[in-house]
Amino acid sequence: MAADKKTKLLARQLFKLSFEDGQVSADQVSGVLGWVSKHSPRHPLALLQLYQRLITTELARSQAVVSHAGPLAEGVLTQIEQAMTQKYRRPVTANASPDSSLLAGIRVRVGDDIYESSAASQLAALSA
Amino acid sequence: MSNVIEQIEQQIAKLSTKAVKRNTGHIRTVADGVAKVDGLSDVMYNEMVQFPGGTIGIALNLEQDEVGCVVLGDVSQLKEGDEVTTTGKLLSVPVGRALLGRVVDALGRPIDGKGPIDSKEFYPVEKIAPGVMARKSVNQPLFTGIMAIDSMIPIGRGQRELIIGDRGTGKTTICLDTIINQARINKVGLASGDKNFRPVYSIYVAVGQKQSNVVRTIAALEAADALQYTIIVAATAADNPANQYIAPFSGAAIGEWFMENGQDALIVYDDLSKHAVAYRQISLILKRPSGREAYPGDVFYLHSRLLERAARLEGKGSLTALPVIETQAGDVSAYIPTNVISITDGQIFLETDLFNQGIRPAVSVGLSVSRVGSSAQIKVTKQVGGKLKGELAQFRELAAFAQFGSDLDAKTKATLDRGARIVELFKQPQLNPLAIEVQASILWTLQKGYFDSIEVKSVVPAMNSLRDFLATRKDTLLTAIRNKAALAPEIEAELKAAADEWKATVATK
Repeated sequence: MAADKKTKLLARQLFKLSFEDGQVSADQVSGVLGWVSKHSPRHPLALLQLYQRLITTELARSQAVVSHAGPLAEGVLTQIEQAMTQKYRRPVTANASPDSSLLAGIRVRVGDDIYESSAASQLAALSA
Repeated sequence: MSNVIEQIEQQIAKLSTKAVKRNTGHIRTVADGVAKVDGLSDVMYNEMVQFPGGTIGIALNLEQDEVGCVVLGDVSQLKEGDEVTTTGKLLSVPVGRALLGRVVDALGRPIDGKGPIDSKEFYPVEKIAPGVMARKSVNQPLFTGIMAIDSMIPIGRGQRELIIGDRGTGKTTICLDTIINQARINKVGLASGDKNFRPVYSIYVAVGQKQSNVVRTIAALEAADALQYTIIVAATAADNPANQYIAPFSGAAIGEWFMENGQDALIVYDDLSKHAVAYRQISLILKRPSGREAYPGDVFYLHSRLLERAARLEGKGSLTALPVIETQAGDVSAYIPTNVISITDGQIFLETDLFNQGIRPAVSVGLSVSRVGSSAQIKVTKQVGGKLKGELAQFRELAAFAQFGSDLDAKTKATLDRGARIVELFKQPQLNPLAIEVQASILWTLQKGYFDSIEVKSVVPAMNSLRDFLATRKDTLLTAIRNKAALAPEIEAELKAAADEWKATVATK
């Protein structure tokens, strides 16, 4: 069922409580989940779904998913991590994810932002 | 051979290795032309967003968790989870002379099957209206070719004149007459080689109309050879509400190009009632708070910001707007009609009763007004038509009293007779606008009493014969009136001679 205003507000409050030193903390999250199971607020399913979405979005902002077609050179992930940490002014960790559909090059995704430098995207731009 | 290699090298050079940044989101829900999108954290208000398959949308609601986008295209291809990308651009449409004679959709894409439009410039659909310093007061006329309007409710270039009335009262016909008249004036003016002549280009925006009506409109303009000076922006009833919402703004952007480039343009919004309904639909789906008649709170701003873009600019051109509003059972005090009445510089009110009585165009002289147009009226029209509104008002007042008794004094009877003839004289067939010099000549003959001896039911045929007489035999006189734009004594003498000559040919009572 669709979350009402109160549920949205509660989910946002719980989300704010899930931080420790500016980052999502596993301890805080388990504490929030414990509170939810103990107090059983209204619309628990909608509440938890909203909470999950907020946490997922936040975690994605601290992760650089590096899709690549060929082999990645050594140190590339570290370079990306450093560059993104500097750019977004928060700790960003890079994870490699092989994707042959890119043909060549890489694509880095940090939260909603995509940095595209793949042959597939260049070809798509040419065909447009 | 080396040429081929160069070509390939150039192509390779185009493929920059620099990373391109995109801000993305994913469709959470899509319904009724509106998509709710997760992500898009960098999106700007009114920014164009790209859906899969080349479909375009506009970000209209920027909320805490999601972005509400209206989809300007086929919604059926979109599904939950599809990636949406920001473009960093505001919605823009192609503008320029290349669009003349073409029929385009709300995004400026051709829909007339005449091939692509070679337009190099693009204007944003949403633009802040010119400020007070850039504007100039309205003092140049824009002739509609309709005698009742040009003589009593004159319109000036840069004015916003509302055309309001029930369904089937001839609102669109007045707009088409005006467009056809501009085309006729343009042809005569451009052929004359007068360097000071400023043609008026027309833009007709069809919002929420039946496709068959749009086809009829195009055919009427083509038949009158007016399409070459006209651009038609069509967002018909079959288009989704987002396209209907954006179409008037696209039309305004196209019109602004003419205005900014020192030319004059006329834009017809047919009609803003359906536009408000389309906007209400979008707003309700976007879950914006609704107000009176379920319209959103900013429906006034929707129309005011659109109509404020019509202006006459200092050192540049002008954009004249003719918005159309359809009333229900003649109720001008409904929400949208009162809004638009208060925004515009006057209104032409069309009455069903008059229409059914055969008085067409069914302009209600009492309720119609032009707030700025009188300063744009040319001298000849003022000379011959200055007293008409008063005479008609007197006629209506006396006609109401005359119903109760048959004994009338001579003066009252004369006023009634004159009024009845004015009413007859203002009857005009549709899609047949009259040149201002012909109008002036006809009104002069009326003022001088040439129609007094003609029976009321014979006034229309007599007027037609006068029109034909002037057009076929007194062309130089008409040209002189057109060029001088005033009734000088020598022109008046010539007109009198012509009227005497004509009078001898018509039967009197």
